[in-house]
Amino acid sequence: MHLLLVGISHRTAPVELRERLDFQARGIENALATLGDRHATSEAVIVSTCNRAELYAACEDVNAGRAAIADFISDYHGIERSAMLPHVYDVTDLEAARHLFRVAAGLDSLVVGEPQILGQVKDAHTAAASAHTAGTFLNRLFHASFAVGKRVRTETGLGAGAVSISFAAVSLSKKIFGDLKGRNVLVIGAGEMGKLTALHMKSQGVHQVTIVSRTIAHAARTAEAIGGASAAPWEELDTLLGAADIVITATGAATAILTKAHLAAVMHPRRNRPLFIIDIAMPRDVEAAAGDIEQVFLYNIDDLQATVRENLARRASEVSRAESIVNQEVEKFGQWLSSRGAIPTVVALRQRFESIRKAELERLASALPPDTRGRVDDITRLIVEKLLLTPTEQLKSVTDPETVGTYAEALTRLFNLDQKTPDTSTPRGATDDRRVEPFIRPGSR
Amino acid sequence: MNAIPLVLYVAALVAYMLHFARRQPDVGRAATTFLVAGALAHTFVVGMQTMEVRHVPVTNASSAISTFVLLLVLAYLFTEMSTEERAMGAFILPLVVALQLIPALHPLPEERAEVLQGPLFGIHVSSLLFAYASFALACVIGIIYVLQFKELKAKHFGFFYSRLPALDVLDTMNQRATFVGWVCLTIGLVVGFIWAGQAPGDDPRVQAMSLQDPKIFVAVLCWLVYSFEVFAARRIGWGGRRAAYLSAVGFAIVLLNFLPISYFLTKSHNF
Repeated sequence: MHLLLVGISHRTAPVELRERLDFQARGIENALATLGDRHATSEAVIVSTCNRAELYAACEDVNAGRAAIADFISDYHGIERSAMLPHVYDVTDLEAARHLFRVAAGLDSLVVGEPQILGQVKDAHTAAASAHTAGTFLNRLFHASFAVGKRVRTETGLGAGAVSISFAAVSLSKKIFGDLKGRNVLVIGAGEMGKLTALHMKSQGVHQVTIVSRTIAHAARTAEAIGGASAAPWEELDTLLGAADIVITATGAATAILTKAHLAAVMHPRRNRPLFIIDIAMPRDVEAAAGDIEQVFLYNIDDLQATVRENLARRASEVSRAESIVNQEVEKFGQWLSSRGAIPTVVALRQRFESIRKAELERLASALPPDTRGRVDDITRLIVEKLLLTPTEQLKSVTDPETVGTYAEALTRLFNLDQKTPDTSTPRGATDDRRVEPFIRPGSR
Repeated sequence: MNAIPLVLYVAALVAYMLHFARRQPDVGRAATTFLVAGALAHTFVVGMQTMEVRHVPVTNASSAISTFVLLLVLAYLFTEMSTEERAMGAFILPLVVALQLIPALHPLPEERAEVLQGPLFGIHVSSLLFAYASFALACVIGIIYVLQFKELKAKHFGFFYSRLPALDVLDTMNQRATFVGWVCLTIGLVVGFIWAGQAPGDDPRVQAMSLQDPKIFVAVLCWLVYSFEVFAARRIGWGGRRAAYLSAVGFAIVLLNFLPISYFLTKSHNF
């Protein structure tokens, strides 16, 4: 059995093509069922996101499988093969495993280390599991990929640090307040950016979001768009500032609306409860000197952008650590793959023993009294089981494909296993020399 | 005897530092394991001494430090397990190791003078040691607070930013540790005064027990500092950085009282 990956991603295909190859549109289950009807592969999982469409399959014949999958993709989406093939990559066995592990780790993502991809890979596997198209092979592969994703997330800084402005604002808030539950957010100005950041805060479970604007109607409209937020008139600004923990300012005012003196007066009765101000307006809404007040943390759009840049650079420096985790896990998976090479031999050996036992039992059957037949059957089965236990364990524990091959060959000859199962002497697994040329490989574009 | 826990504490220190720098979960677990092993060994050592002299070994500076270190480690382990936050370990362990060096390298014989019998003395010493352990924790939390505060204010997210807990969490922890310590300190001092009042007056050390004695004077000074911190946090909103600095000052005084004064200056507490 071989592992095969055929797909496109943001590295090889333009967005126009990726859009057309979106499997989500008509449902992954539907696509898996259609593929299953073709009987081209014995197992299949489809990973489809806005940045990639990849088919992972287990099949006996790689070349046939590859062609069948390419046909399926082109037929399913109604795309000319010639338009699609130059953007398609395919890899087999351990290289396919490596590719999936890198995807799950976020190494292959547009924004390196983004966390959503692991969830998407998990969803892809869940869909295949419920459509019964994922078997031993792909189950093992995908579970290994979840482990890679988790390890990379916990052991490296690949996913650390916010890489978008609104996410940077949220993660800064968390470093000041810890949990955002029970915190009050005040948005000054009814613009789009303020709304976006407030939405992010809302999804973190803040207690209340209040929008204040010079025109109450604007504030009310934005509050409604956010959902569960309230609008307040401009006159209540000071009261609201006193109660707020996080303030997002995004007005179109030409001069600062919050001065240092103003904020100092607001801070006094707060007894130094920290106030986090995110000034995303341009020109700025808050006097820069206000950041000198002890418990005022003032960040403007440039500060946030700088943290985003810093985080991106830091992620880039973690790539090699993540790659080495991927390597370790690929090696582990390769060992498992190799150990599976022994399975056909084990099965053949057991069948041979069982058939001998059955034959002898049948021969004896007439000579045995009926009440002892059952016992003899039990005893002989036990003997066979015990005889085979150690060799089975030994065979399964071998991970080196060459040794597996030698063992398999020796057993095949010694027990003449070829008679029943002719195809047991070749080890299966970790060979990845079966790529053929019509498709390109990932990274080559 | 105190060397065995010391070795384990050093191992824990190294592991906590490594974990802080590289953030590998295995190293973090190893750090906690070393520290738990150290605490167990230390409990055993203190337990053996207790069996030997039939009271908890606290009646001279060296054994009091050993018991104090054990309490500090237990208080820290409690905090770590309840918050699942290992970053503090890298800050608390240097203190643990430095203090544990004293009883390990310079043990004093544990003899309890006749005047130190009775339950009041036990309450006096144990509540003070527990107070000091809380203050040590508060001080370390305060230092961490200031480091995190500076990174957030400077808008430069360096080494500490991602590794340290949130400011507000640290502030709450600091206030809690300080309050627990202050309650214990108050109990310890009050019981100490009551005990001194009823102790037999013929011992020269008991006669030296007045505010003029450096150890007692500094302990009262300590109480004033922490009382102010507790009051300021509740009444005038002195949280955050000011509370953190107060915790550091308070603990510096505690250490001063614990080390040089206990060894060289006091006339009343050199049992």
